[in-house]
Amino acid sequence: MNTTPDLTTAGNGGTFGPEQAAALLGQTTQQARRKFQPSPPWLLVTRAVMVLAALGAIWLSVRGQHPYRGPTAADIPVLVAFIAVNFAATVGVRRHATAGVTGRSRFSQGEIAVLVLAFAAAVAAMAGLRAAGVDFATYPTSVLVVPGLAWAVLMAARASWRGFATGLAIVVIGIVGAFAGPAGAWAVAAVGLCVMLLGSAAAIAWRQRA
Amino acid sequence: MNDDGLDPLIHVPTRLKIVATLAALPDGDALSFTRLQDMLELTPGNLIIQLRKLEEAGYISSEKTRNGSAQKTTVNLTSRGREALGAYTKALRDLLGGL
Repeated sequence: MNTTPDLTTAGNGGTFGPEQAAALLGQTTQQARRKFQPSPPWLLVTRAVMVLAALGAIWLSVRGQHPYRGPTAADIPVLVAFIAVNFAATVGVRRHATAGVTGRSRFSQGEIAVLVLAFAAAVAAMAGLRAAGVDFATYPTSVLVVPGLAWAVLMAARASWRGFATGLAIVVIGIVGAFAGPAGAWAVAAVGLCVMLLGSAAAIAWRQRA
Repeated sequence: MNDDGLDPLIHVPTRLKIVATLAALPDGDALSFTRLQDMLELTPGNLIIQLRKLEEAGYISSEKTRNGSAQKTTVNLTSRGREALGAYTKALRDLLGGL
């Protein structure tokens, strides 16, 4: 075993005791986990507040509609802004966290294609069903089911069980929304996604401190 | 091993930081030399020396890839390195009475 002295010394005396080693190990591990985390707790909490505000605002505007006509013209920019800000923040933070990292934690092009196709397929299917007069096609939560399933399958294949649970939670929100009526589905989406994001933030924060 | 049971290859501040940082990545992931250098705020020379020692012990592996004129080096913690860090952490816990 190589016992060559290091260029770095631990303290003023140049000794490196077990207490210092334990402190350095804990500090370095926590810092590294924070820096490598593509979905940091602060981003998830911000997203949770945003989703609650954006979808909650739409629920407030549609809950009095009889019959249901869907989000008003004033609601659409809020929804689009939410999606755009969320997408930009997610991509930016993820890019920063995974800079210089290679390997299986990065999504392959095939996996990205599957996720995009799942979302596009869900939107197309909902549009088709809506045109056919199917009621639940107008429910905002219906569009979550297929992408949620795709995410869960992808995460299971990667043995990422927290990601798998997130995917299943999205599917459950989508299904529960189908029983809440078209206006109520907005409230289910707002509260369900908010709770799911806060739960993910708590799980990641707990793991970073472990 | 030292008298206190701590692996002398890891029980050095710089190398402990390198190993702990690489261990924070999922198994099978690698990190570029430049990102590692930025994160640990080390000079390239010092980092190279420490990485070489860890690589000689089989704790890390490195790979050089060439993209045009630019060369990129990535390093990752081997399973032997993870085991060594696990044993080191356990030895520290034992020494400090489970703290």
